[in-house]
Amino acid sequence: MLQYVTLTIDGAKVRAPKGTSVLDAAVHDGICIPHLCHTPDLSDIGACRLCIVEHVRNGTSKITASCTLLVQEGMMIRANSDRARKLRRNVAELLLTEAPNSRAIQDIALRCGVKEARYPFRNNDCVLCGRCVRTCTELYRGNAIGFVGRGKNRHVEYPFGTRPDTCVLCRACITVCPMSIPPCDGPMKRGEERFCGKCESQLQIPQYESGDCVRCDLGRGFSCARHR
Amino acid sequence: MPRLKAITELFDLRAQLQAARAAEKTVITVCGGTGCQASKSLAVIDEIRAELKRQQLDASVKLRITGCQGFCENGPIMVIDPRNLFYCRIVPEDVKEIISQSVAGTEVIERLLYTDPATGKKIRTEAEIPFYRAQDRVLLSQNRQIDPCAIEDYVAIGGYTALAKVLTEFAPEAVIAEIGASGLRGRGGGGFPTGKKWASCRAAAGDEKYVVCNADEGDPGAYMDRSVLEGNPHAVLEGMAIGAWAIGAEQGYVYVRKEYPLAVAHSRQAITQAREIGLLGANILGSGFNFDVQVARGGGAFICGESTALMASVEGKVGEPRAKDVHTVEDGLWHRPTTLNNVETWANCPSIINNGAHWFASKGTEGSKGTKIFALTGQVRNTGLVEVAMGTPLRRIIFDIGGGAINGRAIKAVQTGGPSGGCLPASLFDLSVDFETLEKAGSMVGSGGMVVMDEKTCMVDVAKYFLAFLLDESCGKCVPCRIGIDRMLEIITDISEGRGRPEQIPLLEELVETVQETSLCALGKTAPNPVISTLRYFRDEYLAHIREKRCPAGVCRELIAYVIDGEKCTGCGVCLRACPYEAIKGAKKEPHIIDALACRKCGICSEGCKFEAITISSGGVPCYSM
Repeated sequence: MLQYVTLTIDGAKVRAPKGTSVLDAAVHDGICIPHLCHTPDLSDIGACRLCIVEHVRNGTSKITASCTLLVQEGMMIRANSDRARKLRRNVAELLLTEAPNSRAIQDIALRCGVKEARYPFRNNDCVLCGRCVRTCTELYRGNAIGFVGRGKNRHVEYPFGTRPDTCVLCRACITVCPMSIPPCDGPMKRGEERFCGKCESQLQIPQYESGDCVRCDLGRGFSCARHR
Repeated sequence: MPRLKAITELFDLRAQLQAARAAEKTVITVCGGTGCQASKSLAVIDEIRAELKRQQLDASVKLRITGCQGFCENGPIMVIDPRNLFYCRIVPEDVKEIISQSVAGTEVIERLLYTDPATGKKIRTEAEIPFYRAQDRVLLSQNRQIDPCAIEDYVAIGGYTALAKVLTEFAPEAVIAEIGASGLRGRGGGGFPTGKKWASCRAAAGDEKYVVCNADEGDPGAYMDRSVLEGNPHAVLEGMAIGAWAIGAEQGYVYVRKEYPLAVAHSRQAITQAREIGLLGANILGSGFNFDVQVARGGGAFICGESTALMASVEGKVGEPRAKDVHTVEDGLWHRPTTLNNVETWANCPSIINNGAHWFASKGTEGSKGTKIFALTGQVRNTGLVEVAMGTPLRRIIFDIGGGAINGRAIKAVQTGGPSGGCLPASLFDLSVDFETLEKAGSMVGSGGMVVMDEKTCMVDVAKYFLAFLLDESCGKCVPCRIGIDRMLEIITDISEGRGRPEQIPLLEELVETVQETSLCALGKTAPNPVISTLRYFRDEYLAHIREKRCPAGVCRELIAYVIDGEKCTGCGVCLRACPYEAIKGAKKEPHIIDALACRKCGICSEGCKFEAITISSGGVPCYSM
């Protein structure tokens, strides 16, 4: 039998089965916490750090990723406090300037309240969210791709650089990749990158505020609970 | 040696070994640690063996090769007992003279004695050397007495008494209470109270538990863990056995990086010897307690010093940290409760049990007890390992023990705690070195690295160096650490190359906060510390780089120029010939000129100039006299 615990997220009482993550519990109850590397049915690695929340305990609060934080009885979570939002905005800005060539990342940056890109753009093809790797290993048991290298050299690759027989070209890795959706105006060339700031999300709400659900169409691809 | 089946047998063995040791008349102790090996101590040792044989002294003179004794600056070092005669910087050619005059005879070879740089006097005995006298050597003094490859030595100096005591007199809870009362805090960097860690691991649910020794030391300029594990592996094993008894574990791991081959070899050998004699394995000393240790060799990634990454590495997975919302004392190695402690923490446990918690707590400050080993490196006279009580002022470590700056330049700052620590300026040298004080000042005790910097060091360049190190060593898993450190490095590189803009400082400060708060593991969370502390104490240097495009220390290449002083230059032509880029022009006997366009600022010219005519200037201001 499932055991349930009750926790507070942004002042709302949330009931969730033991063993679920705070992020899942929040999204299930319609509290939107932006996230990128988390996808349903896959394990969470806490890589993108967009889903950071304030975990209030013993009078102090600690910033931690909600996807790897499991629910506990009486937990106090602040998902959209000023502090969490500011840090989330800065992380989103880092992601945006690293890989602006994705509608998903442009949209996430906007949803997290990025106003301008203060770092020089780089036009990387991968943000190492690991969705492809986990889909391949966990859902399809293919083990055909994995992370190689450390730090700046970390990248996704076939084992020893050659495609193994276990890869049957199912393209599951591509469908979950946030970089596979180009920005609305088409792919950006090197040197022409920008923060476009006009994803559907902005068009739907005149007074935009981060943390609110914007029912954007991209939510479908990113497991937004409101988009059903 | 026979297997020990009871505690009384251990005491009998010790009595035998001590008697044999007391019978040793003349003992030559030579350091065989990695530091002295780099100064060719192995050749010296071979020569001593051959020479003893040649002079037929090999039966009456005992040669003991020890681990690191800490005075690495003057290696290879040798002590001749019972006279306590101390020789340093020995070369194989000296050996013949030493054996015939100082071992067979009673003379002293003046030229091999240590010269005190402060007074210029020669010092004869080890006990008189100020470097040693100002220290409180609890752990390091054991290194001096034992051959790390011989368990007999460790048993003879009282080794494994603490384990025997624990097995007979202490219930596991009592051990935890004793360690807790001693106030021992983790020596690896975090400073978490060891007793508390053990208590929560004991309380954690699960039948199978593990103890792990973290010997994945990777901070630039820090090597105390290596020296302890190399020089005294049995103390670490004994500490681990005590910990295992306390928390209820039967298996331990020593995680050593492969860059420490001697530490790997010595710990493996120590484990084999302890197993043979029955101090590891099943039914230790007839008490019914089973405990065994394995060496897990790491590939040398800095990140594997982080607890969860280390455990992933021991499990055979990629060494990457994971979220630590549930601590490793509950969910560690193979998802079982695991106690992970640093080499030095484990090595401190036997002496706490032997001498009592009060003895340990009598040293140090209110919140930080006991002694700590620091690796003193950088621009000081006496580089080496320094063991002092917690709470010793920085000034005492740097000037009294370290002997002050090399070359007589002024000391500007000290970097404590490795890449995750911070730089403290000379004005704060009266701070006491303990966990709380250093943390308040924006640095940390960390694993115990201390890099002393003089006025020739540019603090922007220091921040750049540490960021580059951390970027290289970050696992790259989470965004703030991978991209955030990269962006910080980008901004600092801009500043050091003269492209800095004033608005970049607030941006850097915001980025620092983001990386600190949102990173997945402690590497990312502490990565901005070098930037924070240099911005806090040396902001004027950043501003000089940004506003005046000037590097006050004359380090950042893009902002400096080499200039020849026409009055001092005699036109000797040394610099002209030395310059690899042919940037120096001038006729013989006439002052030379450096062609600024061709100059690549390598500094080779200034090194060769006898007349000190070549200086560095930055932004039209001379930086310092060479």
